[in-house]
Amino acid sequence: MAAVLDYLQNLALANWVRSSPSLFAYSTVLAAHAVGLGIVVGLNTLIALRLLGVAPGIPLTGLRSLYGIIWIGFVINLVSGLLLFIAEAHTMATMVAFWAKILFVAFGMIVAELLKRFYFRDVVSVQGGVVTRVGRNLAIISLVCWYIALIAGRLTAYPDMVNGWLHLSGSGT
Amino acid sequence: MQQTALQIFVSSHDWVWALWQIIHFVGMSLIVGIVGTMDLRILGLFKSIPIAALRPLVPWAIVGFICNLVTGIFFVTGKTPGPSYYTDNLSFRLKMLFVLLAAGNLIIFQLSGLEGRVYATPAGGTAPTAAKAVAAFSLVAWLLIIFFGRIMQYNDTLLLFLGL
Repeated sequence: MAAVLDYLQNLALANWVRSSPSLFAYSTVLAAHAVGLGIVVGLNTLIALRLLGVAPGIPLTGLRSLYGIIWIGFVINLVSGLLLFIAEAHTMATMVAFWAKILFVAFGMIVAELLKRFYFRDVVSVQGGVVTRVGRNLAIISLVCWYIALIAGRLTAYPDMVNGWLHLSGSGT
Repeated sequence: MQQTALQIFVSSHDWVWALWQIIHFVGMSLIVGIVGTMDLRILGLFKSIPIAALRPLVPWAIVGFICNLVTGIFFVTGKTPGPSYYTDNLSFRLKMLFVLLAAGNLIIFQLSGLEGRVYATPAGGTAPTAAKAVAAFSLVAWLLIIFFGRIMQYNDTLLLFLGL
């Protein structure tokens, strides 16, 4: 594990992201990650709000067209996230908050795909456009996943504080 | 160099800044998700959604904006060297410039009557061309607000890029 992290962190690309004074290195990658977060969390929130009864005039079939944009946001964050990870592979890989974030992003994307592939088809063809309890529950699970992922991601910026909560020692590096 | 009560509170509790940051990111997500979706719909995506159907989401975007206004004021007034930490920062200044431009863009959208015409656009319908210009400006402005907001800590890279 340590050897892999060493390898990643010493890649020329990792060095560039971490140390280059260029605007397009760490700054732009980090900003892109925030934009992707806004897209993914924001659109999944909008879909959940609709399923929970806000804006009932939005046709449920229309929501399916939002998933293309969600995937664009996801890819932006997969690419920028990999770059941010290799830049500080050791620090990130030892953080509980980082792995919690990855786990809940994965859960969130699975719930999003379940909604798109199964629920929105059923809700229109089988349930006559009425949001059922299954739909409301999926919406709540989606919101929980995305906001835990957001909070955990934000906490990766405060390793000492989180380690203090978890009664772990060390400086977080 | 007397610290204010807020500055003392912030520097003696590490969770305070982290919590404000989390709220600031939640507010950002609400704004991006709702304003961004309305902008893209006006520009011609998601045509099966009538634009007026998105209107009940607007209060949620306003809640997001208020969250970010309040936490933003806390950041500027709670930072220990003083507000100049932010107000001297070019990325911060550009972020605020684009927040003001986005606000002006919204006021134009409402006062010009474009908003009413946009909400009258049915499912499958095309918004007026002037509204598309407003929506495109809004998208670019919010993108730049996030960009400059996030690079504030790395302002040197912007100064280097601009040769300043």
